[in-house]
Amino acid sequence: MINSILRYSLIFIILILLQVLLFNNIEFSGYVNPWIYVMFILLLPCEISAWLLLIIAFFTGLTIDLFCGSIGMHTSATVIAGFVRPYVMRLISPRDGYEPGSDPSIAIYGFKWYLIYTLIVVLIHHTALFFLEVFRFTGFFRTLLRVILSSLFSITFIVLLEYARKRK
Amino acid sequence: MRNLLNLLARYNNLIIFLLLEGIALYLLSTGNNYHNTRVVKGVRGITRGVEQKVSSIRSYFRLREINQELAAENTELKSTLESMKNKGEQLFFSVTDTVYKQQYTYTTAKVIDNSVNKQKNFFTIDKGEKHGLSVDMAVISDDGIAGVIVGCSKNYSVAMSILNLDFRISARIKSNGYFGSLNWDGLSFKHAVLNEIPQHVVVNIGDTIETTGYSSVFPEGIMIGTISNYENPGGDFYLINVLLNTDFKKLHYVNVIGNMLKAEQLELEKSFQ
Repeated sequence: MINSILRYSLIFIILILLQVLLFNNIEFSGYVNPWIYVMFILLLPCEISAWLLLIIAFFTGLTIDLFCGSIGMHTSATVIAGFVRPYVMRLISPRDGYEPGSDPSIAIYGFKWYLIYTLIVVLIHHTALFFLEVFRFTGFFRTLLRVILSSLFSITFIVLLEYARKRK
Repeated sequence: MRNLLNLLARYNNLIIFLLLEGIALYLLSTGNNYHNTRVVKGVRGITRGVEQKVSSIRSYFRLREINQELAAENTELKSTLESMKNKGEQLFFSVTDTVYKQQYTYTTAKVIDNSVNKQKNFFTIDKGEKHGLSVDMAVISDDGIAGVIVGCSKNYSVAMSILNLDFRISARIKSNGYFGSLNWDGLSFKHAVLNEIPQHVVVNIGDTIETTGYSSVFPEGIMIGTISNYENPGGDFYLINVLLNTDFKKLHYVNVIGNMLKAEQLELEKSFQ
């Protein structure tokens, strides 16, 4: 128990630092910014209780907000991502259900499952994030384009990071 | 009572979700407004150490470029100084003359945190109240305007960049003096949009856009950018695209301009409104 708390804390710190120090500085055309920290919500154990997931999501978002100076924006988007994760998992659950005590990872459930899982959660997170950022519906399709482009980059990096994580 | 408890137990996740989301949205609505950066200012102190470390590493990599810029600016200042010297012999003015009273103060500062890829971009500089900075002071780079200070702590200030949907400034075409309002359309970090220039004005691509000084924040005649193209959206006004002269991707050293006579101007204007 203590061991896994330590492990997840370490992953949390690594992901936050990667996001703040590396990915916030990579700007594709000054327009697209991959938000990979949402991966922390994705990699928590399958059987985590929903309320704990929500609280973790809240503090993950708050940490990113402190670094980005955008109080509340990432917090609300990440809480939404944490809220939909159990429903997404139920929606795309494998034929014989989830193995008890397992992580949602490529190694256990396969590439295709992981990609769909990441795609849905990241898209919901980014949609909430970018629309909260502009806070209006004028230029709806431009914001939508930003959502789609940024999601593509985020998903690519999250899948790559997932492979790197399993290698370790 | 039992039913109520059952209901709570069944929907406890939804209730927690709504509660946390409510807190987040409350923070969002109070913390990010223009002129209301108290929350940002207060809590950003925590992460500032990290930002400053990163910034100092980055500035090390850009030393060569900064040196070149400084050298270029030096040359320019020297040539202006030379031209002033010749005039000085002909002019005669006493030190106490109020006509020559200094109106603007300049302070250099370093940008320690910046972004260009959001819809509401802010940047942080390493000077604050301790150095005489206050809210509503203008921030310019060597190439042109950069933003306006919206929050100050003791050692740091947060400035709203031009690249912010809430940013608005009065700007004019240098060649003919027609003024309009300049704001950012959220598209590219290189361009802004100038509105309210009437259709009868002759507009040329490449014309310089500069500040007007009406706002009491920016001094008059500071470079903003050049006209890159313009169109006629069908109203009474042009829609002019301005290529910003400041490169926000490499904003590094900036000047903060304080208007010493601002209080006087605002007070006078207020009495007539």
